[in-house]
Amino acid sequence: MLKITDARKRFGSVTAVDGVSFIARDGAITGLLGPNGAGKTTTLRMLYAVMKPDSGQVQVDDVDAVASPQAAQARLGVLPDGFGLYPRLTAREHLEYFGELQGIEPARLTTRSEQLLDLLDMRAIADRRTSGFSHGERTKVALARALVHDPQNVLLDEPTNGLDVMSTRAVRAIVRRLRDEGRCVLFSSHVMQEVSALCDSIVVIASGRVVAHGTPDDLRQHTGFENLEDAFVSLAGLEHGVHD
Amino acid sequence: MPRTLRQALIVCRKELKDSLRDRRALLSIVFSVVIGPVLIGFMMNRIADRQREANTVVIPIVGLNRAPALVNWLNQQSGVQVVSGPTEAEKAVREQREAVVVVVPEDFAERFRASRPAPLQVVADSSRQDVQPSVQRVKALLQQYAAEISSLRLIVRGVSPTAVRPLDIDEIEVSTAQQRAAQILTFIPMFIMVAGFVGGMQIATDSTAGERERGSLEPLLVNPAPRIAFVAGKWMAATLAAIVSVCLTTALCAQLTRLLPLQDMGIRLSIGFEHVGPILLAVAPMCLFTAALQETVATLARSFKEAQTYMGVLILGPMLPGVMSALYPLGNAAWTYAVPMLGPYVLLTDVLGGRLPGATAFVTSALTCLVASAILIRITTSLFRSEQIVFGR
Repeated sequence: MLKITDARKRFGSVTAVDGVSFIARDGAITGLLGPNGAGKTTTLRMLYAVMKPDSGQVQVDDVDAVASPQAAQARLGVLPDGFGLYPRLTAREHLEYFGELQGIEPARLTTRSEQLLDLLDMRAIADRRTSGFSHGERTKVALARALVHDPQNVLLDEPTNGLDVMSTRAVRAIVRRLRDEGRCVLFSSHVMQEVSALCDSIVVIASGRVVAHGTPDDLRQHTGFENLEDAFVSLAGLEHGVHD
Repeated sequence: MPRTLRQALIVCRKELKDSLRDRRALLSIVFSVVIGPVLIGFMMNRIADRQREANTVVIPIVGLNRAPALVNWLNQQSGVQVVSGPTEAEKAVREQREAVVVVVPEDFAERFRASRPAPLQVVADSSRQDVQPSVQRVKALLQQYAAEISSLRLIVRGVSPTAVRPLDIDEIEVSTAQQRAAQILTFIPMFIMVAGFVGGMQIATDSTAGERERGSLEPLLVNPAPRIAFVAGKWMAATLAAIVSVCLTTALCAQLTRLLPLQDMGIRLSIGFEHVGPILLAVAPMCLFTAALQETVATLARSFKEAQTYMGVLILGPMLPGVMSALYPLGNAAWTYAVPMLGPYVLLTDVLGGRLPGATAFVTSALTCLVASAILIRITTSLFRSEQIVFGR
């Protein structure tokens, strides 16, 4: 479970996040939807405790992420914006490095790595260095690395950005599977179809504020648009007009 | 083992593995390790060659038959060989076909027999540095011959030769060749220190500025570890690489002092097995310090390129003591050991010069480096906590 309450974050004179509040529940896929520059990445960074909010609370399960970031991070699997792989390490070594840092014992780490390599269909690339990997392959490595410690909560920052159809489908399958295992999945996107195809709950964010929060049906009803994309455009365009 | 230390070791191991696969970085380290000893070897060999040339000097003499006694005497001196000189002596020297030519004029024998100063010409080019030893040798030989003759003439006239020797000059020869060779050897401590600096540089910059530029710093920091575990792990990796470079350079220099004809030049210097411990004791603390400094500076840099530029400036640090001591003899005042770069340098020169410094000197230098490293690591850790640094500016 992820909970963020009235979080604010300024960078100099720019207010990136201006009082965001929402809850992402276990066993559900929550989509964080918003145009570029709406504050999605900053919100996620506060949730995975690499940024401290200027004010407001962040909670991961029952842990206060502002007060004890490491305890929160132990419960989080994160796929950040731009995966950040090491070009000279192999796919398997990525899993091992992060698994060790998470404190997983060697025997369990080996089994878990094998599991993930199978789950993400990475057998063929497991022992190759990532420098020559395609975008899809790199996504898989970053995703497997984020899941290596079997986290209850999974945050994905634009995971399907720039992926081809088959890779997108693979990522979606993983995300659904994580939900079905009872985990809390939060993923951000600026693509309407992506969110509507996958999410149980949608948080629409624009100019650093939550402008709508609900199921896809709620949003259609709320805005009066039958088409979810029209609803999104209307919501995002309203900026300061609507408060949920 | 405490959790933070274990995590630091995991980071350290990964950084070492990563940099061992970075072929360009490895090449630059190998280059920095090898360049010093190779330069020293090259220069020393040239000096030794010239020294040997001067020892066995070939003297071309124009008009051999006009001074048979002189030629005879010269040929009896060790390492001297007299040959017939070229017809145009001055031209031959000017065109650098000969280093020096002795010309015996036609009236030499006549004046010599009459005990009047007999003329001799030594044709040489004083602007040619490389043949100076040969020219000096020839002049010295001729002077020695003249002295012997004058003694004989005085004895014949019943005068003691000592009467015309008011001064007994005992020349203690510190030849230019020896000086130059000794000067070159003073670079060995500097090369060892530079190797220590360059050895850690790649890891220190690649694991901080490089890691951020690749975008891998953010996912790394999502792992539940205190920031100091990451900073310390990267620092340990850079330090280890630096110490390995120091060992390699020292081994090369040791091999070099064995191969070079140092004895011929009257220089006593050898780096033996017994020196390895003191050398490492002197330089390892410096490696801790330089790695910490590099890490701090590279973390502050806005990009990998900028970090590399700063490294180019910082490398003057380990070079400065060597250059300075050539200008101002430092001696070994106690305070020198308490200056981060200077202490290790003074210790190194002492160890290599065959004077083992006392334990206090080693401890002072090591403590200074350790305290400076601890401060720098604290600074880097707080930089790693800054969102501005982690996410770029």
